[in-house]
Amino acid sequence: MPYHTFKCSKCIPERTKHAVIKGHGEDLTSCLPLGYLNTIPGSISERGCAFCGAKHVIGTPMKDVIHLCHGPVGCTYDTWQTKRYISDNDNFQFKYTFATDMKEKHIVFGSEKLLKESITEAFKAFPEINRMAIYQTCASALIGDDMDAVAQEVMNEMPDVDIFVCNSPGFAGPSQSGGHHKINIAWVNQKVGTVEPKITSDYVINYVGEYNIQGDQEVMTDYFKRMGIQVLSTFTGNGSYDDLRSMHKADLNVLECARSAEYICNELRERYGTPRMDIDGFGFKPLSESLLKVGLFFGLEEKAQKIIDEETARWKPELDWYARRLKGVKVCLWPGGSKLWHWANVIHEEMGVEVVSLYTKFGHQGDMEKGIARCGEGALAIDDPNELEGIEAMMELQPDVIFTGVRPGEVAKKLRVQYLNAHAYHNGPYKGYEGWVRFARDIYNAVYSPIHQLSGFDISKDEIDMDNGFVTKNIISDAEIDREASIANNEREYTGKYDCVTHLREKTY
Amino acid sequence: MDEIQNEKVEQLVNYIMKWSLWQFNSREWDREKQNEEILKKTMQILCDEPVDNGTPEARYYWSEAMILSSDFKTNFEWISQMKKTEIKKLMEDLKNRIDYLTITGSLNAELKVKRY
Repeated sequence: MPYHTFKCSKCIPERTKHAVIKGHGEDLTSCLPLGYLNTIPGSISERGCAFCGAKHVIGTPMKDVIHLCHGPVGCTYDTWQTKRYISDNDNFQFKYTFATDMKEKHIVFGSEKLLKESITEAFKAFPEINRMAIYQTCASALIGDDMDAVAQEVMNEMPDVDIFVCNSPGFAGPSQSGGHHKINIAWVNQKVGTVEPKITSDYVINYVGEYNIQGDQEVMTDYFKRMGIQVLSTFTGNGSYDDLRSMHKADLNVLECARSAEYICNELRERYGTPRMDIDGFGFKPLSESLLKVGLFFGLEEKAQKIIDEETARWKPELDWYARRLKGVKVCLWPGGSKLWHWANVIHEEMGVEVVSLYTKFGHQGDMEKGIARCGEGALAIDDPNELEGIEAMMELQPDVIFTGVRPGEVAKKLRVQYLNAHAYHNGPYKGYEGWVRFARDIYNAVYSPIHQLSGFDISKDEIDMDNGFVTKNIISDAEIDREASIANNEREYTGKYDCVTHLREKTY
Repeated sequence: MDEIQNEKVEQLVNYIMKWSLWQFNSREWDREKQNEEILKKTMQILCDEPVDNGTPEARYYWSEAMILSSDFKTNFEWISQMKKTEIKKLMEDLKNRIDYLTITGSLNAELKVKRY
């Protein structure tokens, strides 16, 4: 087994089996780290908790809902305002954060009364919203508040409202992934089948494991609608609470992030016989084949092909412009869960970058199987890394850029390694054909940013060449480019708008 | 399996691993069914045999198989030169190899967990 031991983790021997290097001839039967285990004491993990995974990854992207955290105020803030799960209802769920604000006296005397008061106060403050999700935290779980009973009491007194209860305290699993699981199962148990939807098409899907990061869901939904497909619900980005109660009526569950939402697809398959179809919304080829696959299922492959042809003709020359300049760029692909396998191969195939390392904060071994299968030889794969391991890997691998979250991203900057936000994106959306070009543009801007070059100088001691002018990113990137070939190929920089999402909301189909 | 056949199987395995997701459902029994149904239907399409797609479940497997068979024909021109008996043997060897990599030889400790 090609395990990799970090020098910084020699004092934590349990870490040995959490990192592997994919060597020549290695496959999944010889090269797979451990995964989804409790973080080892002494290893400062980058993981979130099961509360965060339930509320801030999956619950809160639902748009027409008051999301109420039953716990201390810090829990509800925890990471939420770093997210970019936008919605087409003026971002209601995004702008407002609700908490019962438990204090010491509530821990001592109980806080069910406080919870009920908070629920009714929130509904009164926002009378246009009559759907609510309440989330347990470590504090409210440990004192044994019966949230289900309180929610039922309120629903009995206020017949117009509906409340979903999510019991996923922070300690309910090794990482946020435990919370993904709990909220998936809670939703299908409590809410699916409680609303009968209006069916407007012969072709009906649920779009699952999609969180509308900077508009991803709206871009993908546009393609489905152009094919004549009704997107009954989205679990959960830009998704509507009542639409999600009617998930049982779809013909097909189209699954994007299997890490966070395969559970509900599997349950819907078992309970209602709805097939699960995993797709890739990132990259021209994976996206095209995904649209075609959905089209084939419904007999709409010609409509899918028309979209593929139109979008490829429009955006491929722009992708090619960046790909020509990104060839050989070294990348550490360090996201949370699913993007390590969504991106591991296609960024190499379509942009020419080299993935030198991949890691997952909360993925399971199944995610690493996909990621390692898709990456090239020599890549260092790490499960649940700690900060020192990340630093050691960056110093050894010398990547040009890393795709990761805000916290490790800031660490990378201090090492003068550029980073792109893999969770919330820089200038997304990244899904869709145009989105993929925007991703390439962000990588290009990160790698070739002039400020990145300048930041290597220490003006207190380095000699600065004052005779040469400012070097733009184009000068840096085009030094060894065959520009004539690029022009002959009609390659061009991104020509889309700053906001490529909002106009989709006005579209009729 | 001779060396040439082995090389062909590895090329197909590599393609599936790089571009497909269906082989990685989270449980052993699920992977067995996915591998069996999708690779069987892919073989039937490549051999111009009738393929069942009459139920939602079968139609899902068929959709995956349609994409895979098309990709195989596009990326591995030698498949078009093969006889049907050779394709069937090739797909049988491919199925065995995929089963080994994703199920019987897998190091994924979650495969045998009974619940999702």
